[in-house]
Amino acid sequence: MLNPDAAVPLEQQFVLSNLAPGRAQKRLAAGVVIGLLVALYLITGPLSGIQLGTVNAFVAVYATAMFVTDSVTAVLLYAQFSILRSRAILVIASGYLFTAFIVVLYVLAFPGVLAPNALIGGVQTAAWLYVTWHTVFPLFVIVYALTKDEDPAKRLWHGKTSTAILWSIAWTAALAAAAGFVFARGNAELPRIMVDPTRFGPNWPYLVGAPIVTVCTVAIAVLWLRRRSVLDLWLMVVMCLYLVEVPLSYYPAPMRFSMGWYAVRVVGFVSSSLLLSVLLYEITALYAQLLGAVRGQRRERQARLLTGDAVAASMAHEMRQPLTAMITTADAGFRFLDRDAPNLDRAKEAFRRIAADGHRAGALVGSIRGNFKSDVTQRESFDLNELVQEALSLGSSELQRHRILVEAEQNRQLPAVTGNRVQLQQVLLNLIMNAVDAMAPKSEPRVLTVRSEPCEDGRVKVSVADTGPGIAPTDVENMFNPLFTTKSDGMGMGLSICRAIIEAHDSRLWFTPNTPRGAVFHFTLQATRPTPAIA
Amino acid sequence: MLGPLPFVGHHIFLVDTAGGDSAKVGGRGLDFTMTARAPVFVVAVVDDDQGILQSLECLLESADYRVRLFVSSGALLESGCLLQIDCLISDVDMPGTDGFQLVRLVRAARPQLPIILITGYPDRLTRLPALGGSNPRLFTKPFQGHELLEAVSEALQSSR
Repeated sequence: MLNPDAAVPLEQQFVLSNLAPGRAQKRLAAGVVIGLLVALYLITGPLSGIQLGTVNAFVAVYATAMFVTDSVTAVLLYAQFSILRSRAILVIASGYLFTAFIVVLYVLAFPGVLAPNALIGGVQTAAWLYVTWHTVFPLFVIVYALTKDEDPAKRLWHGKTSTAILWSIAWTAALAAAAGFVFARGNAELPRIMVDPTRFGPNWPYLVGAPIVTVCTVAIAVLWLRRRSVLDLWLMVVMCLYLVEVPLSYYPAPMRFSMGWYAVRVVGFVSSSLLLSVLLYEITALYAQLLGAVRGQRRERQARLLTGDAVAASMAHEMRQPLTAMITTADAGFRFLDRDAPNLDRAKEAFRRIAADGHRAGALVGSIRGNFKSDVTQRESFDLNELVQEALSLGSSELQRHRILVEAEQNRQLPAVTGNRVQLQQVLLNLIMNAVDAMAPKSEPRVLTVRSEPCEDGRVKVSVADTGPGIAPTDVENMFNPLFTTKSDGMGMGLSICRAIIEAHDSRLWFTPNTPRGAVFHFTLQATRPTPAIA
Repeated sequence: MLGPLPFVGHHIFLVDTAGGDSAKVGGRGLDFTMTARAPVFVVAVVDDDQGILQSLECLLESADYRVRLFVSSGALLESGCLLQIDCLISDVDMPGTDGFQLVRLVRAARPQLPIILITGYPDRLTRLPALGGSNPRLFTKPFQGHELLEAVSEALQSSR
């Protein structure tokens, strides 16, 4: 069995003929096969005594249904071929098209359906067409199974897919037509399968049963050895259905329009529509997944665009303050110089202040770069315990004011982490302050828990938990959108900027509900070394 | 980049730098007689940004006002000098009690006190909230120094 990931390019893993079957699918397939065996036992055993009448119209209805389902399956598989360019898919599509053609000839040759005798050929023609149908389709399956895992150079079709499909249809039609011609013309010369239009002769097991059983068994074996995709799984089930038709046709009564014979038509229709149903179900499921992914992507992009706007807005505000100070101080400086007796000391002082504000603006620009360009040079290795303590002591006045109990155990096993210490302190402080704001209006026990623990993937997870009202389901989507706030005096920038900082550290910020109430915000940081630091 | 963090505004901070310059002002006889006749007005400035506070101090002192600086509304209200000031200049967007709330509180104690507001977010103020009296003049950061000084001077004239 091949590794599906190695054999299939990433972007094609969502195409059905490449998709690996899930557990439920495998169970369903096994269920179908077991159900079939039970039906086989019932029909050949307890139900074998039931006599059924000869309904010629049944053959026409059966053939029409088979033709429609097989053609639709062929169309879907041709569509898959045009995406994947896999010759194997082209082969199996041709197989389904072949059965669609053959079933038309079968109904034309069946005695008493469209004419009192067979419309084409004679008594033997329909039976030989049945043999062809049930041996050639498994041959297509075998070729499919043998070609599907070849190396890409040979496996893939490099020409135009429409040309390939047209050639495939032409060859399949020619093959079916040739079979129809040979069996219609050779009715008299061919070995006799039928004794009369309804009864099978004694040669039936050798001329019909044995060839079908042989090719179907080989097909199942080859598919089993190379099983990988949803398509492989269900083709195996289809081959099992083909196999079951053999004993049902001959036992208990070796004749047409017996209980077993009708059962065979039903099994035949099931096998024909089985793959179609699976294909349609999978296509719908994949479509739903795709839709969900596109929606998610769109939401993510919108949130990002808004984050960009918010960053620009907050930048503009941050820059406005030192610029205002500089302009105002410059005005003051002019006024000190413009006096009849210029006050040089005050003017000098004004210049000093302008310079200081200029540096402040410069530092702001620098910090913006640091925040959003994920400046690697500013990253350092530090002890997360210390950072948590610092953030808590920075927020201690607020924590005390609202009488909030702080639970923050120092974890001595914690490895040192790498990141921009100042930014991460801001993130922690922001999360702590959010927790304080969430708990402030509540009279219940107010507990802030800050926990940090190593993860399996060489990262350290930091969680800030509160016992506030938690996050309303309606707010979940907007949570990280800038300008979203539940506080009357908040700007709503906090969480979106926290997320920007955490994402610049190649991590993410997320939240979960706290039990019994409240919210927990988490983020992870890269450990400097995978081994724990010496405490 | 993270903006003013919530806890900053709750510290009480008071700077009183007025007074030191009044002696220097009268360098020449003419100036001296002018300052001696004109009463010295006290202007209070409230803003959570230190740079803005210092620049306004500088500007107002260049016009010979005595200046008192406060980093939050709370600092002004708790300082007890509300009755001694002649004009108030306040920022609108501050953590804790914002500029509008401050105007209401101040007007309850001193209805006639001239007030001037400054804001960094003019686009957020599509309309001013009801402030219990006439609307104070609103300046957008950055503003022209002489315009602000004219506004202060006019406000002081009209309140007399």
